[in-house]
Amino acid sequence: MSDYSPTILQGQQTNDDEILAKTPLDAKALGGDSSVVIMELLQRFKVRDVMKRQVLSIPRKATLREAQRILRENHISGLPVSEDGRLYGIISVNDIINGLDHGWMDDTVDMHMASSLVVLEAGMPISFALRYFNNYTYGRFPVLDSNRQLVGIISQRDVMRALLYELSVEIRKLERKTADKVAQPAPPSETHFFRREWAVVHNDLTGAGRAANEIKQLLREKKVDRSVARRIAVAAYELEINICIHSHGGVLVMVISDNAVTITAKDRGPGIPDIEWACRDGTSTANDWIRSLGFGAGMGLSNSKRVADFFEIESEVGKFTKVTCAFNLKKLEAPAGGTAS
Amino acid sequence: MTIADVVKVLNGKLMAGDGTSPRVVGAVVANDLMSDVLLTDADDVLLLTSLASDQAIRTAHIVGAVGVVIHNAKPLSETMIKVANDLGIPLVSSPLSKYDACVKMHDAFLAEARG
Repeated sequence: MSDYSPTILQGQQTNDDEILAKTPLDAKALGGDSSVVIMELLQRFKVRDVMKRQVLSIPRKATLREAQRILRENHISGLPVSEDGRLYGIISVNDIINGLDHGWMDDTVDMHMASSLVVLEAGMPISFALRYFNNYTYGRFPVLDSNRQLVGIISQRDVMRALLYELSVEIRKLERKTADKVAQPAPPSETHFFRREWAVVHNDLTGAGRAANEIKQLLREKKVDRSVARRIAVAAYELEINICIHSHGGVLVMVISDNAVTITAKDRGPGIPDIEWACRDGTSTANDWIRSLGFGAGMGLSNSKRVADFFEIESEVGKFTKVTCAFNLKKLEAPAGGTAS
Repeated sequence: MTIADVVKVLNGKLMAGDGTSPRVVGAVVANDLMSDVLLTDADDVLLLTSLASDQAIRTAHIVGAVGVVIHNAKPLSETMIKVANDLGIPLVSSPLSKYDACVKMHDAFLAEARG
């Protein structure tokens, strides 16, 4: 009658290592140091952090036909049967198919719903939910609070979305840490006395521009001529935005030497098939979302070229794009104490 | 005309930055396309824009703007206000449309020139 097996949640939690070993994100995949972040996420996140809180439901005395309408109109395959927050069962598409087959469509849902349910509690860690998704074939589970009231519903998609988001946040933190490590000044040489590198993350338009702002502040501290500093910052900003919106991510590097400042933007692809076309004013592959943020008018490369004293672009489709802009310094006072900083 | 004068002229409200800055507006740029704003050579720019995002502030910082005015009393995010404070860019919210703000600024400049 129902696709829900008569399993009742016992409530006890099992050993976490066992949970991880049986989930799709198995222990092997989580092995090594890199697993620490994921394991921490699986424990830190609770079901309540991920579940959908707006749950459609239907009362016990509604008919299968009404349930069918709600399922169809909302493109869902299962519907909790609840009253005043108390969960009585679940009516699924399979129950509706059986109802159509046997002529039960005018029966009330409590006659055909699954009433022995597998449920999750809102305070359980996500690792617990993953184990349930792995052990049962259901696509979603109702979520109850400590008073056994229905407070949400959780699907595999909800879990994956939340984990992917949190992982991207963690990866961004790691990238920034890496950038900070790389940002140590290069060994002093005859010409270089300052080098710094910033990681630029794909589609991070909240953070995009931060490197260019820092570059401008650094140039001010280094007493670089104001008009030159502005041109350098403009190129850095345009190139940073380009990496952010057009590439898979990359780095922005500034090198200050005795008589020039060089800004290099290098990304990890996808590369530019037609460089000449890409450098023309007004040509862009940007989408409406990017345009709504004030960019994407196809002026990034041409603006960078316009303000730079030297401009070079290299690209290999599927591999990388590297843009170099160099600026002659009218006046640059070396930091006190020598040529290294 | 300082940022305090701009607030008065545009019936605005200072949302971030130093409202007592002595910097004087040298030119007004009214644009929503940040690549266009980056192209301007003018100094001491006041940026009038409908782009209520962090990027408007970051662009203003790059061109050394005196301040940023957002039109039509558009809601400003907390991050935008934080970025403005961090970068020291006065941020003004005005109920005027971009056109009306441009006209008011033009009139104010004329009045200032006439003494």
